[in-house]
Amino acid sequence: MARTDALPKSDGGTRPLPAPKEGSARDPVIGVRSLTKRYGEITAVDELSFSLEAGTVTGFLGPNGAGKTTTLRLLLGLAEPTSGEALVFGHHYRALDEPARRVGAVLESNDLHPGRSGRDHLRALALAAELPPSRVEEVLELVELDGVAGRRARTYSLGMRQRLGLAAALLGDPKLLVLDEPANGLDPEGVHWLRSFLRGFAGRGGTVLISSHVLAEVAQTVDQVLIIDRGRLVASARLDELASRGETLEDTYLELTAGGAS
Amino acid sequence: MRAQLRSELLKQRSTRTNLGLFAAMLGLVSLAVLLHGLGLAAEQLGSASDQLMVLGRGEFLAALFAALLGTMSITAEIRHGTIRPTFLVSPGRGRVVAAKVWASTLIGAGFGLAACALAAGIGIAALRLRGIDVQLDGGDYALLVAGGAAAAALWAAIGVGIGAVVRSQVPTVVGVAAWLLFVEGLLVGDVAGVANVGRFAPGALGMAASGQDPDTLVAPAVGFVLLALYAVAAAAAGWVATTHRDVV
Repeated sequence: MARTDALPKSDGGTRPLPAPKEGSARDPVIGVRSLTKRYGEITAVDELSFSLEAGTVTGFLGPNGAGKTTTLRLLLGLAEPTSGEALVFGHHYRALDEPARRVGAVLESNDLHPGRSGRDHLRALALAAELPPSRVEEVLELVELDGVAGRRARTYSLGMRQRLGLAAALLGDPKLLVLDEPANGLDPEGVHWLRSFLRGFAGRGGTVLISSHVLAEVAQTVDQVLIIDRGRLVASARLDELASRGETLEDTYLELTAGGAS
Repeated sequence: MRAQLRSELLKQRSTRTNLGLFAAMLGLVSLAVLLHGLGLAAEQLGSASDQLMVLGRGEFLAALFAALLGTMSITAEIRHGTIRPTFLVSPGRGRVVAAKVWASTLIGAGFGLAACALAAGIGIAALRLRGIDVQLDGGDYALLVAGGAAAAALWAAIGVGIGAVVRSQVPTVVGVAAWLLFVEGLLVGDVAGVANVGRFAPGALGMAASGQDPDTLVAPAVGFVLLALYAVAAAAAGWVATTHRDVV
């Protein structure tokens, strides 16, 4: 059990798939402009704007309820903005050609049918994305779930569920990873593996956006942070800039989000 | 679309949900046909119409269980959250709903075939056991099985549509079961004057499509066509609801 709970110490190399047809090289990987989402009286996301360039790992930080998950859902086409827009590779997510080959995302680690095996979960997604069945075995090996892939998902530990979610996101060998609170439930070894995997992914030109409310898990992984509070962007900074000004991420975060906490 | 359909068919056969529904359906069909075939007085089983009523329990239960499998194909995804990875990989949500409708329709037809064949086998055996003359011919059996399979297939599509609109699993399942088992019984039953409207209810149309109760219900072809319209309307409602609302 301990062995399968620990994530492998691989650099996460995956076999490349044929590149998607369209190359919109000049568009930022993520372009969010004046994004707003209201639910009745509540404004979950308020005039949010930011863009991300290729090859960066960005932490998307804020207290619980700040609008992080809503922003990701808008970005991934699961919800429609009230106004403004969120584009990936210059397109609305729902208009992307072969989205699985461009974007991999994990919103909830527990998005599994308890009675379906991990392998069948991935096979169903691979069929829909028209990816070769060999990709299922490759990503299972990558996250070290190949030994338990035939078991029903209800028998999986939280860490195994996290890794199955990540495996699903990696099926299409995407160029952008969007992860909502990915380290929840991972043991220290798992967090370490995830960190080196994401660094390797960005090193190969991939772009990563990770949301988190746990500063410590992000501080060692990301190049830059976006901090939001009550739906608004309150800071955007590179970690090395913060360091050169003698500020810590924690100071900046607490100072900017104090209103939300009180 | 073919890729999406294959994905949906894999989803449907990779859990035990449908197997459980199938087994429960066959068990209930056996029980219902035996209770009617052995329990009713011989004079209530003499005519072709009486005998079709007994054998028609197969169609009725197939429609119910096919509807349930259709609703589960989408409400289980919403309940367990797999709808998120599904729509991330296939952001064309309308295509996902269409694939669920086709996959459920195919499996629903299988449910209908099996239930009607089993009901016919057990029903005839029960009648012969009691020495009652079987009044049905090959055409009746063919209509019973083919019409029952068609009705179950269409009810599966109705189930997907309702599931996509309601989204929550328990209310959907309870609602579909209550409608077929209780509400329609009142509409088509002995309440004076209501049967005129009740025979156009979807459950009654499914019974009509398999040739049951020809004195009260509409003709089989009419039943099939009108039930198909219900299925198209339900699937369209599910399509609109799924493409226009945020994913929960």
